[in-house]
This record gives sequence, C-alpha cells and structure tokens, in this order.
Amino acid sequence: MIHIEHLNKVYNENAANAYTALHDINLHIRPAETVVLKGVSGSGKSTLLSIIATLIKPSSGELVVDGEQIAKLPDTHASHFRNAHIGFIFQAFNLFDELSVKDNIALPLIVTGMSQKSIDEKVQQAMKIAHISHKQDQSVQNLSGGEKQRCAIARALVHEPKIILCDEPTANLDRENSLKFIETLKQFKALGKTVVIATHDPLFDGLESVDRTIVIENGKITSS
Amino acid sequence: MPANVFLNFLFLLIYRHGSKHIAVFLISTLVVMLFSSVMLLSHAVEEDIKVSLAAQPDFIVQKIHAGKAVDIPMEWADEIRSIRGVSVALPRVYGSYFYTPNSHYFTIVGIDPFDKQISTSLEALLQETDLRSFLSEDQMIIGQGVKAQLDQHRYFDHYLFKAPNRTKVRVGIYKSFPKESSIVSSDMAVMELDLAKRVLGIEEEFSTDIVLFVPNELERDNVREKIILQHDDLRVIEKEELAVAYEQLFNYRGGVFLLLYMIVLVTFVLILYQRYSMISSADKKEIGILRALGWSINAVIKLKIMESLVVGLSAFMLGLLLAYCYVFLLDAPLLSSLFLGHGNLPLDIVFNRSIDFGMLTLLFLFFIMPYVAAVLIPVWRIAITDPVEAMK
Ligand SMILES: Nc1ncnc2c1ncn2[C@@H]1O[C@H](COP(=O)(O)OP(=O)(O)O)[C@@H](O)[C@H]1O
Ligand SMILES: [Mg+2]
Repeated sequence: MIHIEHLNKVYNENAANAYTALHDINLHIRPAETVVLKGVSGSGKSTLLSIIATLIKPSSGELVVDGEQIAKLPDTHASHFRNAHIGFIFQAFNLFDELSVKDNIALPLIVTGMSQKSIDEKVQQAMKIAHISHKQDQSVQNLSGGEKQRCAIARALVHEPKIILCDEPTANLDRENSLKFIETLKQFKALGKTVVIATHDPLFDGLESVDRTIVIENGKITSS
Repeated sequence: MPANVFLNFLFLLIYRHGSKHIAVFLISTLVVMLFSSVMLLSHAVEEDIKVSLAAQPDFIVQKIHAGKAVDIPMEWADEIRSIRGVSVALPRVYGSYFYTPNSHYFTIVGIDPFDKQISTSLEALLQETDLRSFLSEDQMIIGQGVKAQLDQHRYFDHYLFKAPNRTKVRVGIYKSFPKESSIVSSDMAVMELDLAKRVLGIEEEFSTDIVLFVPNELERDNVREKIILQHDDLRVIEKEELAVAYEQLFNYRGGVFLLLYMIVLVTFVLILYQRYSMISSADKKEIGILRALGWSINAVIKLKIMESLVVGLSAFMLGLLLAYCYVFLLDAPLLSSLFLGHGNLPLDIVFNRSIDFGMLTLLFLFFIMPYVAAVLIPVWRIAITDPVEAMK
C-alpha cells in the first residue's frame, strides 16, 4: 500500500540552516497493516507522516501510495489524492472551534462533489463508528480532549480513506482516553484500513492490534 | 462540487464568524452610504438644473443704474419684440420679500393670467386654477415653504405684506401647492401682476426685467447687439452664461467632494488592509486545516473570496439602500445644505429619483476591488504555504 524508497527530507534546502530530517528511508507497508512508528521527539516521525500524506514534499526519493507516484504531485492532484486516500488524525486535533462536531466532520466531503444528503449520511456513519453522535450539534470548543479526538477520528474516517495516519494520537489524552483510542485501532482493522501511528507512548508496545513497530532515530529507520 | 453544498458551508462559516465580519461590514456600509448619497444627490441636482435651464428664457434683459439692476419700463418689451428673430419678449415682475418673523426670503412672482407665461410650470399652475375666483380679490398661491412659515405665525388665510412705501397690503391665501407637485417652488408666492408690483414697490409701467426667446441660435448674437444699441444702460444675460455659472459652482463643489472621497477611500482601504492582511493565526490555521483535508489551493481561495464578497456585497447593497432612502425619502438633511449651500441657488431643486447607473458601476468597482484585493493577497499567500506550517 505504501512504498518508500531512498527517501530524504531536508528542511530549508540550499540555505545556511538546512536540516536533514529524514535519511534514506526505505519502508513498505502492506494493505490493512497497522504499523507503529516509534521514536523520540525530533526523530522525524511527523515529517514522515506529512510526506506520506502529501502535506509536504520529500527532497528526493520515491513514494508510491496505492500504486500512485505521489512524491512530486502538483497541488490540485496532491489535494485530490489527500482527499481520496488519507485520513489524518493530528496531535493537536486541528478542528474548527466555532463549528459543530458534525460540521467539522463534513469538511473533507464538501470538496468531493457529493450531494448534501449523502454528506449527511456519511457524517452520521462516521460519528457512529467514533462514538461521538451524541455530541453532533455541540460546538467543538465545548468538548473535552477525548471528545475532540473522537470528532477528529470521525473526520478522518468520513471520506472512507484507505489509509489512516495518526500523529501522537495519545499525547493530549489521559490514560483512560488513550486506552479508548487503542480500542479504536481494532475498528480501523475491522474496516480494513492501513494505519500508521507515530508515537513515543509506551502504551503502544506489544499491542495485539499492532502488526509491526518501526523504530526511527535521528531521521533513520533502525528497526522494522 | 454541488453549488448548494459549498454555499451551505459558506454561509455557515460566515454566520459562525459573524463577530469577525461585523466591524468591516458596518464600516463598509457607512462608506458606501456616504459615497452613494453624494452621488445620488449630485446627479439629482445636476439633472434638475438641466431641466430647469431648459425651461429658462434665452435672454434676460436688465436695466442697469450705477451698476445695479433697477426696474425696467414695460414698453421696452414691445421695442425688443420688434427685433427680427425674437419670438417672445415678456416683462417679468418678481422679487424677494423679507419675511421678518423668520428672517426668511419669499420669492414674489407676478403673473398676467391672460398673457403667455414664461415658464411651463406657471402655465400648468394657471391651468389648474379657477381664474375667476383667484382674481376676485387680492390673493396668492404659495409654495410649501412659504406656507410652513406663515402657518408658524398663524397666518392661515391671509398675510399683511409691508410694502416699501410703508403701506400694508393684505393678500389672501388662495391655495398652496404640495412640494412634490414641483409646479410651484417651495419659497414662491404667485400673485396677479399689479398686486405683486404693489407688494414689491414697483411702479405701474415698470417690471423687474424682460425675458425673451430667440429660437434660432444663429440670430442670438445679432439680437443681443441690437438690444444694446437700443439702450445703452442694459445688461443682457444669456442662458449659456447661466449654464456656465451653474456648472462652475457645481464643479467646485464636486471638487471638494472628490477630495473628501479620496480621504474616505484611503481610510477605508487602510482599515481593510489592517483587517485582512494581518490575517489572524486562527484564519491561518483554518486554511491549513482545509488544505490538509484535501481542499485545493483554488477551493480555499474561492471560499475565502466568496466569504468576503458576501460580506462586501451585502454591505454595498445595504449602503446603497440607506443612501436611497436618505436622499429621496428624507431629502438628504445636512448633506443637501452642504451641497447646495443653503438654497441660495435661484433655481429650485426638486430631487428627481433618477440614478446614474454608470457612476453606480464605477462606485461598485472602486469599492469591491480594494475589498477583494485585501482578501485575496494574504489568503493566497497562506494557501500556497505548507498546510503543516499554516496549522502551527
Ligand atoms: N519546518 C521545519 N523546518 C526546519 N526544521 C524542521 C521543520 N519541521 C521539523 N523540523 C525538524 O526536523 C526534525 C524532525 O521533526 P519532526 O518530524 O517533527 O519530529 P517528531 O515528529 O519525531 O518529533 C526536528 O529536528 C525538527 O526540528
Ligand atoms: Mg511530531
């Protein structure tokens, strides 16, 4: 599903403060696999997830997702790719605070060309999976951290992407909500999603629902 | 994307961001209202002057004594009428009467009901008047302004004019005309010729001035020369001169307003720039989120432009509507006196509801361009940066 070959990322390329965040990454993730990307802060996890999501471009190397070369896509194509294939759960949730839960979840669907009716249906479905239906008309700013994340999960699922990327999903949660999130991984699996979780949380060690743990150190994969 | 889905979201967003837009909305409404009020007013006045001028006689002949206009013998009108090219020459009797209780001037106009009238509005007035009863005693027909002044001092059916020779002339009020009729000017009191002369202190065989019509433009210079040859103490005023005088007055006022326009416009652009160019970190984050969720740069820009267009257009429309009400329903209090200089124009101004659509379009463009530019540039700058950067 995700094939990465000799991928490098240099921030501020050609500038005095150039910084190589990723060195020669080679990584193959199979469809429906759940992978934990483990590493300390600053090791390059977010950078790698953002590249897979086409949010930033790699400096060199190959990136093939679902058979598509995406390393150097122009904006309209990259946006379309993101919209079709990627569900991203951000560490900071990145929700619109003034909008309601259900309006936040609908955001990815507005640009798909779907009718309002099917948007509403899909939003309901996603909210059910993420257990947030009871808060659908609440404004996001009134939600707790755990509820915000469930809203973010629903938003990552609503357009039925094949790939779910989670950046430090438990960093802003208490233990109880972190465990709830780990439960959600089973649902992702049941839905056949390919999941990549970037984290340094030991809670993810030795989980049954995790197929593989990849360790990243200083921008290099040291074990996979 | 289906238009309604996009619009639903657009209006939802505008509604949720209401407090963010309200200041810009109010300022914009105010600016549009100010601009379009001046525009509507100046156009209405200009149109009115044009119409009034068209009805003016081609020449006005005054007798000058020691540099001052004095009464002119009526028989001179007959002499002038015999000049080739002159179709009509009529003596006019009119003048200002100082109404002491309110320190206000009335314009007394004398008419000979059985002769040709110099203006179509007077013509129309006579059409509507039962001459027999009007002339049965000393009476006048008054405009709304005069009526208001007289009513204030309870002169409901007559007024005692103080003539220059210290006698009092009692004149009954025959009827008054509503403002909208535009047949009688607001400050006018129309009465029979000899009665008007008594009120104004004009001698029997004299008139205030003589007006003449010369239909053929080519003969006007010739006529003018012949009149001056007949009597050397005459001043001949041509309609063209009047037109030029008005135009100059108008251009001058227009220039002042142009300056004001510029000041307001600059302020407006500055405010817009402040508001939108220093786009808040919240706006930035929103753009980043949308981009991360698969909105293309184009879609984001479209959303943001539409957002500001909706706010801008509704402000424009509301401003225009308010201006229309202000000028045409309320008669532009304050602004009109600023513009017309306390009604000292000899022509009476009735605001016709005519709108200059060319100017309106210009105003629209001048308003909407800075508006869109102030939004487009910063939004575009953020939309093309990495979503990850924007979301920070
Ligand atoms: N936009 C950027 N410009 C320069 N350096 C960056 C940028 N983003 C991340 N980095 C650097 O790249 C390295 C990897 O960052 P990141 O991928 O965020 O690590 P992680 O998510 O594992 O904490 C860090 O040293 C960070 O300082
Ligand atoms: Mg990170």
